[in-house]
Amino acid sequence: MKPTTFLLSLTLLLAALPLAAQTQIHPELNQNQALTIARIAVPRPETTLPLETINTPFFAPLTRDLAYSGVFAIAPIPPGILSGVELIKAAGAQFLLALKIDQQGEEYIVDARLIDSTGALQSGRRYRGGAGALPRIAHTLANDLVKVVNGKPGIFMSMIGFASNRSGNFEIWLMDWDGANQRQITHHNALSILPSWSADSQRMVYTSFFRGTSDMYIISRRGGARVHVPTGLNLNTSATFSPISNDIAFVGSVAGNPDIYVVKDDGTNLRRLTHDSSIESTPEWSPNGTQISFTSGRSGSPQIYTMDADGSNVQRISFEGEWNDDATWSPDGSQLAYTSRVNGRFQIRIADLATHQSRILAGEGSNEQPTWSPDGKWIAFQSNRSGRWQIYRMRVDGNDLLQLTFDGENKDPDWSKKEAASGQQSELIRQPTTDNRQLTTDNQRTDH
Amino acid sequence: MNKTFKAFAVTIALLALIVAPACHKKVAPVVTPTVDTSMTVPPVPLTVTTATAQPVTDTADFVSPKTDTVAVDTLPGDIEELNRVAQSRGYVQDAFFEFNDSTLSAAAQTALTSSATWLKKNGQYNLLIEGHCDERGTEQYNLALGDRRANQAKEYLVTLGVDAGRIRTVSYGEERPFDPGHDESAWAKNRRDHLVLVGK
Repeated sequence: MKPTTFLLSLTLLLAALPLAAQTQIHPELNQNQALTIARIAVPRPETTLPLETINTPFFAPLTRDLAYSGVFAIAPIPPGILSGVELIKAAGAQFLLALKIDQQGEEYIVDARLIDSTGALQSGRRYRGGAGALPRIAHTLANDLVKVVNGKPGIFMSMIGFASNRSGNFEIWLMDWDGANQRQITHHNALSILPSWSADSQRMVYTSFFRGTSDMYIISRRGGARVHVPTGLNLNTSATFSPISNDIAFVGSVAGNPDIYVVKDDGTNLRRLTHDSSIESTPEWSPNGTQISFTSGRSGSPQIYTMDADGSNVQRISFEGEWNDDATWSPDGSQLAYTSRVNGRFQIRIADLATHQSRILAGEGSNEQPTWSPDGKWIAFQSNRSGRWQIYRMRVDGNDLLQLTFDGENKDPDWSKKEAASGQQSELIRQPTTDNRQLTTDNQRTDH
Repeated sequence: MNKTFKAFAVTIALLALIVAPACHKKVAPVVTPTVDTSMTVPPVPLTVTTATAQPVTDTADFVSPKTDTVAVDTLPGDIEELNRVAQSRGYVQDAFFEFNDSTLSAAAQTALTSSATWLKKNGQYNLLIEGHCDERGTEQYNLALGDRRANQAKEYLVTLGVDAGRIRTVSYGEERPFDPGHDESAWAKNRRDHLVLVGK
């Protein structure tokens, strides 16, 4: 293959890579975003390894993360044998990500250098891991690159917990933020639903019916033994961890009167927060832990309310529509996303708590159970628009819609509250090939 | 109670069961009025399909009666089959609800009254009431609504004299629809309290 032909096909390949994984990347940047988005050229990694061993587990998730980062846009690689500053200029980019991948025994070694348009090394890091670690290396590298440019890490190591019946009964599952790596966490062989992350994103609390009653359990994100949270009450649904303690808010019922309760994660210190004869459901803590939103039928129809974490100072939030539920706070605490019935179908509504203005993110079918990404830029939700419940992700403005699940029925998404520690170690590259003037700066920036 | 007398009571009760299928959905007079109410259908050996079901080990008390006819229509020992029979003969009857409502309608009260009558005469079974909702609400609120529906039925049965200790409730919300359809006909079937007999 001639070098030019090779580079041309490489260009096409790079353009097609993100699309390969059911992705719809916006080809054009909108004007507002374009002002703050850096174009980055990402040529194929320099390696002697077969492309297929690198592409799916590493290169595809890396370019997907960067394309969706809101910080970078992937610049197409122009034809011609170019590298370094020439390549950056020809691609009309601000950055070049030069990747080199080697294999030593079972271990892959990924060298990543971020070079700016002056040829200066902005970041140089080396990542190591077995074949199974390649997606984690890709997400960690993307996070590191976003942090170099933006000062804040990306969300590419965050996870979405959900319930899926693809193995028979609904069980608790996990997936990466991009829908990859979907894995089953519980094996109750019984209805198990409504997972909710702990503040450190290491555990989930959920409801399972495997004893014939509905009970709360806690399980590690790595699976293993579940721990029962005894309450002595019925229901034990809609469980949600406090962001600041080991408390769990949930719906408990005595004699058919569902109310909001709080209990410690070991089942002690049970407290009742609501005392109405109506149905109360679906509690959710504010990000600072001082307030709890919930759904109540006290007005005659399910509506969204907030209260202080001790049950005082109840305020009604939703007034529109005859059925609202599933409220969840934006990470900065300024907005609530919730499920709102509009013209007979459920839609995601986002309400500003200060102005009381709300907007609908309309979609086909019914759209329920919104959950915010840790950076507040995305919302995952469930929709039956395909005829079956599946989980989707979109930007908070409704753009960049992406279906994340396809097998069986999938629901109850809950996005991890913060970046889960990747556990992926990396080291600074001490001898950059281009220019090491920036290494000091880089050293200060890389705090892992 | 001596064994001969007990076997006699069993025979009476089983004979009554043969008559029962003729009156679907009605309150089934399971036991003939002349028999003391304590002499009802004997404990059936339950296959262990639920955590609470206990197999009856002492079968000597109800060795099959000699009559050919009585073996045909006895209450099934298998708990799932028993529930099918109990539902089809109307021994226990599900209660249905309006949308986003947990009020017991007149029809629901009639169904529960029939169920209470049978349950009081057949103390060897406990009852699980499952609260169900149609798909038009939201999952989390519907779980709470199903809990309220199930408890409405429980309280009504208790006022009719069924021992509260025999009744347990669980809400499945919209998780387990009886009819997978997406129209009012299906929704009406899915808004219900489902009564399930369980072993003691």
